[in-house]
Amino acid sequence: MKRYLSHPFWQGAIVIVVSYVAFEWVIGYVLPVIGVASAPVPSSVILQYMLTVLVGIVLYMSADEARWKSFKKPIHETMVARDRKTLRGILMVALPVLIGWLAYQNVRPSYAAPATLRSVHPAPPNQLTFRGETIELTGLENPLHEEGSIEEHLAVGKRIYVRNCVPCHGDLLDGQGHYAPAFNPVPADFTSSGNLPQLTESYVFWRIVKGGPGLPREGTPWDSAMPAWETILEQDEIWATILYLYDQTGFTPRTWEEEGEGGHE
Amino acid sequence: MTNLKILFTVVATLAVFTFVANVIPQVQSAVPREIVLSADMPPEELAAIGEEIYAGAGGCTACHGLGTRAPDLLGVVGGVCATRVPGQSCKDYLWESLVNPMAYIVEGFDPIMIDQSILSSQAELWTLVAFLESQGGEITVNADDFAAALAADDAAAAAPPPPVVTDPSQVDAVALITAQGCLACHALGGEGGMVAPPFEELRGQDPAVVLEGIVDPMATINEEYSAFAGTMPTIFGDLMSPVELDVLVNFFVGGAGAGAEAPGDAPEVPPDSAGGSR
Amino acid sequence: MKRWLTRGVATRGVLLAALALAVALPLLAQAPGPDYGEFNFLGLDRRGAVWIAAQLHLLFAAFVLGVPMFAVVIEAIGMFGGDEKYDKLAKEFTRLLLVAYSATAIWGAILVFFLSTLYPRFWAYLTAIFAPSMWVYAGLFFLESFTLYLYYYGWDAWKKGAAKKAHWCLGIMLNVWGTIVMFIANGWLTYMMSPPEGLTADTAPQTVQLWSAINNATWMPINIHRLLANVVFGGAIVGAYAAYRFLTSKTDEERAHYDWMGYTGNLIAIGALIVLPFAGYWLGREIYEFSQQMGITMMGGFMSWLWIIQAFLIGILFLAGNYYLWIGMGRIPGAERFQPYIKWMLLVLVLGVIVWATPNTMIADRDEIAAMGGIRHPFLQVLGVMSAKNTAVNLMILTTFLSFLMYRRANKDPVVPWARAGTMLQGAAFALCAVIVVFYGVYGYFVTAIVRIGFSVYQVLAVLATILFVIGIDMAMLRGAKSRGEIRWGRMPDRSQYALLILAVTFTWLMGLMGFARSGIRQHWHVYEVIRDTSEQAFTPALGPAATIISICVLIFFALVGLIFWLGGLAERSVYQEAEAKVKAGQEGRAALGDPMPAPSLGDVD
Repeated sequence: MKRYLSHPFWQGAIVIVVSYVAFEWVIGYVLPVIGVASAPVPSSVILQYMLTVLVGIVLYMSADEARWKSFKKPIHETMVARDRKTLRGILMVALPVLIGWLAYQNVRPSYAAPATLRSVHPAPPNQLTFRGETIELTGLENPLHEEGSIEEHLAVGKRIYVRNCVPCHGDLLDGQGHYAPAFNPVPADFTSSGNLPQLTESYVFWRIVKGGPGLPREGTPWDSAMPAWETILEQDEIWATILYLYDQTGFTPRTWEEEGEGGHE
Repeated sequence: MTNLKILFTVVATLAVFTFVANVIPQVQSAVPREIVLSADMPPEELAAIGEEIYAGAGGCTACHGLGTRAPDLLGVVGGVCATRVPGQSCKDYLWESLVNPMAYIVEGFDPIMIDQSILSSQAELWTLVAFLESQGGEITVNADDFAAALAADDAAAAAPPPPVVTDPSQVDAVALITAQGCLACHALGGEGGMVAPPFEELRGQDPAVVLEGIVDPMATINEEYSAFAGTMPTIFGDLMSPVELDVLVNFFVGGAGAGAEAPGDAPEVPPDSAGGSR
Repeated sequence: MKRWLTRGVATRGVLLAALALAVALPLLAQAPGPDYGEFNFLGLDRRGAVWIAAQLHLLFAAFVLGVPMFAVVIEAIGMFGGDEKYDKLAKEFTRLLLVAYSATAIWGAILVFFLSTLYPRFWAYLTAIFAPSMWVYAGLFFLESFTLYLYYYGWDAWKKGAAKKAHWCLGIMLNVWGTIVMFIANGWLTYMMSPPEGLTADTAPQTVQLWSAINNATWMPINIHRLLANVVFGGAIVGAYAAYRFLTSKTDEERAHYDWMGYTGNLIAIGALIVLPFAGYWLGREIYEFSQQMGITMMGGFMSWLWIIQAFLIGILFLAGNYYLWIGMGRIPGAERFQPYIKWMLLVLVLGVIVWATPNTMIADRDEIAAMGGIRHPFLQVLGVMSAKNTAVNLMILTTFLSFLMYRRANKDPVVPWARAGTMLQGAAFALCAVIVVFYGVYGYFVTAIVRIGFSVYQVLAVLATILFVIGIDMAMLRGAKSRGEIRWGRMPDRSQYALLILAVTFTWLMGLMGFARSGIRQHWHVYEVIRDTSEQAFTPALGPAATIISICVLIFFALVGLIFWLGGLAERSVYQEAEAKVKAGQEGRAALGDPMPAPSLGDVD
């Protein structure tokens, strides 16, 4: 046992196995059990991680001449040594079978939709039309900050949210409404740090006004179930809802730096 | 052998990069649809373009549909247009309304609409007609109408520009104001629209500011009329020659009050004020 | 839409105004002939043709601008330090320039011909704005050529005393001309990205002020970014040249020389690479400030995956750069002491690459998305945002610097009395820096985006300060240090040289990729939001087709560079003629290294 543990080749093999277990099983299945939010990792990401680890191992082994030699030794011996004849025979069969199986897995017909790359936050347009009215999106601020009392706006936002948004986005704003499991992509989770705090209020406004139908091409596939709310809500109601979202989640909207600070102009 | 190995290293590295970039899902950024008008477009497409102009650059929604300034057209106008004037077809009625708005002012509304042919080409106007027809009625704009309009536009583009007046004394400011349709919104001597300041208010103001207000209307907004901000087209700087602008500005700052003074009597402003700030 | 609508009327208006002002008619309105020329060659369309010509011109130009910068520095080291071998090295760098210089000019000419024949209208537009700067450009190019000729051919004539100093000044002049030339050309291309405010499609190009067109929002950031990147690129290509010569050399002497040259090139490349992200941040910031939409298109829009590929490439650069240093420690007596640390540094690097290349939005099929409850992984999304990535890359830079420090220290034992305290101080500086980087990385999750962007600057500053501080201590501490033996230059396994080659290829490809990003964010505009691209190639290609074109460019570049290297070798051959007798000794040297490959016989090298 100790002989194996101190041998570079087997050390490398152990690192590979341990990393795989960590990426696939620990992140995917152990973390949720101990109460950390997690989920199985997509195979594309696992592949990427494992390749990185593999490259790291090869680099480490070949960075030192002596280590490199002893790392290669078992491989070399398996290929030529007399006493490894059986192992060699097994590998001669097993490797082609493995490769064949992988190739088959790749080409076999399946019912699953192909993996897609959907940009969750595609670039917004410079302007949008709200029921025919053109609104410049660039530099647009939430007008409700300037007028009326914030409590009233929040009350309006709450009413709008409860009446219109809860079925999909959930009463905890976590994207787990009653209808949510039926949708792909799933409704946005407002409690996630990757959503509201990354976006300006004008961006959120655009997404609510135009909904799934208004997504640009890179936001495809266009199967988002989000309606275009411009047909149902008034502008101020949408702005109030946005205030409510940020208020409830405790996030602050992203803001852009002041114009001209960078020195040009 | 070494050279082959080097070649292999270079090619293999490139192959890996190219492969990785190709296996990830591919997103291509498409060009937003650009509108090209042609005679063989189906009516629905014309109407779609017309809708974009209606909602967008045409600025129609600045007045129509808001309830007080102009009638709401969406959903109804296509149904009633053919019955408004006996003997006039729907599309002719709409066309006339666009190029000669004062002809049919709907009761209860002020005569504030300007001749749309100042703003849009004939072909664009026909797309508007098609769109309006589609609001409650059948589209009857046909390829012939449209082809004729395109030809007219081409002819207008190819025609030599009208002679440019270089002598300020030959420019009649009042005629110019009427021709440019300013009175649709502004008033002069009590005549004209009320959505923008009457020209009398400009008297005695800084000529440079007045000129700026003509070529870049959003530069300074009169607080009283801020509800209508953005209504004024930005094209007047292009529509008038520097000499015409110069005369106009002189007229505004000096002599618009009674409307009786001759434009030539207006106090002189530096002649280069118009050309200089352009 | 609005622009399109007003064009018809406004063009008429512009005509009127222009006539009245007695200004020539705008080219746009009167230029006869088609907007675009036809081109189809082996399936390559007009955009592909211009793309390849521009990319190759840029690659050669970057080499030609980058190499003189450090050639001059190395010449100065030789001149003031009195070590002849630096002077020889500087001259060898310069020799590579000569041929690369004409290649730059050739590809520049091809680019101009393609532009003027395939995009005639747009070319006319650009010339109407930039004509005077183009004449200046041509004049400076002329000056630059002759300065280069004097610099290279006068090398041996002006070798002593004041003549040598004058020669060195020639090298500086060469850099000055080259930098101005690049700044001018940058003005043209940044104008296309970020034209001055207030321009519309109907603005007559003659009325655009030349200086305002050149001095646009992204001009200076691009200038600085390219200046640094040229050094990186020049160093990497020099490293590849040395690797090629090392692999094909027949004598120990030659091998030792090129081993040293490769090391120097690599050091220059990695050293300049460390400060490059600073210029990158600045450029990105200016792009965001110029147009938020352009910024989002670049970082979060359809190009977001480009940054994952970039992370992957930079990961390769870090790994290969460190790997080269670690292998190099095998030829330094006393380096064994540092062997045990390598695996921990590698661990940091591998984890860094993993974090940096973790996509924020993952490629996943339907079931996987359903399992994750969205396109983001609930646990790994922590690694997908800027805070994590900045932390990872800063730790990687720090680790790379540590590798270099160990390499430097390997055969030396400091003799100053405070050596122990000095080393501990260095260690403390490293630890403090790592703590600062990680602190701001973690803290970044709890603040708003604007503050977070500021944090990335603190992180980079901490790393740079640590590097300067530690290297300062090191230089003082190793003064007069006891040597454990000379570096055995040339006793390097071949795979280290392949690492150098991969570094050079990766740098080149990365430049192509970033060029695509910079140019692609204009999307369907020739000049962003001013002049629309109306050709059939107005769309912006996906990453795959773009990568294919980039690979073609890099392949052509290396084929030509290979030719240049070979020519460089021809000229050099005479120098090593007398050394051929030692070929046999060289073979033995190789055998001692355990390399089973027989040394090539004299005939089959090329």
